[in-house]
Amino acid sequence: MSHFYFGTDLFNELNRLHQQMPSLFPGTPSSLRSAHLGAFPPVNIGTTDDSIEIVAFAPGIKPDEFDISIDKGLLTISGERKPILSESDTETRPYAQERFVGTFRRAIELPENADPDKVQARYANGCLSISIGKRESSKPRAITVQ
Amino acid sequence: MSDTTQVVERQGNAVAQSEEDRTPTVVPAIDIVENKNGIILWADLPGVTTDKLEVKVHDGTLTIEAEAVVPTPAGLHLQHAEIRGSRFARSFSLSPDFDTSKIEASLRDGVLKLTIPRREESHPRRIEVRID
Repeated sequence: MSHFYFGTDLFNELNRLHQQMPSLFPGTPSSLRSAHLGAFPPVNIGTTDDSIEIVAFAPGIKPDEFDISIDKGLLTISGERKPILSESDTETRPYAQERFVGTFRRAIELPENADPDKVQARYANGCLSISIGKRESSKPRAITVQ
Repeated sequence: MSDTTQVVERQGNAVAQSEEDRTPTVVPAIDIVENKNGIILWADLPGVTTDKLEVKVHDGTLTIEAEAVVPTPAGLHLQHAEIRGSRFARSFSLSPDFDTSKIEASLRDGVLKLTIPRREESHPRRIEVRID
């Protein structure tokens, strides 16, 4: 069972509300890097004791078409999703076009303890999973009482 | 062939179901095009594998149901979620012009492609006018 979907607490609910505010009330100030709703690809972010786990839901893209970089604690995922049909195709008539088409770019601020040398990225079934290790010194330690 | 859409989204079923099992259901984004052979539908289903995907046709209703599984390490604590459900569901009503026995489905990189052919007798035909 995947835990990338549930288990968010009240704080996350408030956070989500905060993120939706700009689209509900345009003109309200918000964080510079806060994502507008409906940005492509949607991302889920979680942490474990050893790593920061990021999943970008970006189906229909070749693994080598992603451009992933980390610079000054900012993870950037960019690329392009090409249209399925060429526009010159007169034989077909479109009825619905909801799927994202075009270039995309998403930036994620990483916490201080993220180690840019320990990054793994994997693309499977349309999900880009990025795992970033934490620095040794920041890992939780149990302290034994003498 | 009229210009009215022949694949009409069917509301209700999917929503009612999501309330039952508490898990939020995601409505997948779709593209639909029509050509002379029939209709092609693409649906974004990230994280879905063929064994977790069900495409059904019943009484003229086409239903797509799927469950996404994203492998995650143990002890994960979710901090930010833009996709909040792992179940996808969407249904459409199909006009009887389509041959539901010949629907082809393929899934690649989280994108489902459905090819729904028109029945032979429904293909647009030109009728020759004879002069007696």
